[in-house]
Amino acid sequence: MKMIKAIVRPDKVDDIVDSLENAGYPAFTKINSVGRGKQGGLKVGEIFYDELPKTILLIAVNDDEVDEVVGLIKSSASTGNFGDGKIFIQPITEAYTIRTGETGI
Amino acid sequence: MKEVIAIIRPNTVSKTVKALDVVGFPAVTMAECFGRGKQKGYFSANLPEIVDIQKIIEEGEKEGRFIKYIPKRLISIVVDDADVPLVVGIISKVNRTGSFGDGRIFVLPVEEAIRVRTGETGEIAIGN
Repeated sequence: MKMIKAIVRPDKVDDIVDSLENAGYPAFTKINSVGRGKQGGLKVGEIFYDELPKTILLIAVNDDEVDEVVGLIKSSASTGNFGDGKIFIQPITEAYTIRTGETGI
Repeated sequence: MKEVIAIIRPNTVSKTVKALDVVGFPAVTMAECFGRGKQKGYFSANLPEIVDIQKIIEEGEKEGRFIKYIPKRLISIVVDDADVPLVVGIISKVNRTGSFGDGRIFVLPVEEAIRVRTGETGEIAIGN
């Protein structure tokens, strides 16, 4: 199992969630956060923004589904500009459903 | 070391943290978050009698009962490998109501932990 951690634009979240749901991945967790990338923020005139609003999406998938989910996030989150975000993939050693105590996703 | 990430109902957070504190895990990180499971955010008025996901989705669609982003809380706690079953057990026991939406627990490996105040690394850094 893998945890896909995607840091994306808040206004693209709806698109990403809808496209994942259509492909059969309805489950996710969303966290509002702030951050910046290697451009060190955004300078508009005299004003400097270094805490840009972003959304973290956590999606747990099986190993063979990683490529499909990453492809879907990439295609629906992309605008071609700086600030589209990053996707990180971490291993999950165990997963439990609290309601039943079952292991696995 | 392992990181235990639990996504649980907002109203059971304080109970969970208290239960973890009692057995010696006082350190937690919490975050407000939103999420949903395989029911796609549809819910049934007859819960918990209905346990078939397809039925819940059908009934929810018919009656228009749908929440796209359900409020949840994320609890993250880093523990030794040996303590993982205990922490998972406590979180499961406190949060289990038997209805959909109780949440999920993930266990992720952690390579290194550093205590900022002293610079200690490894298992000393996450100890008391």
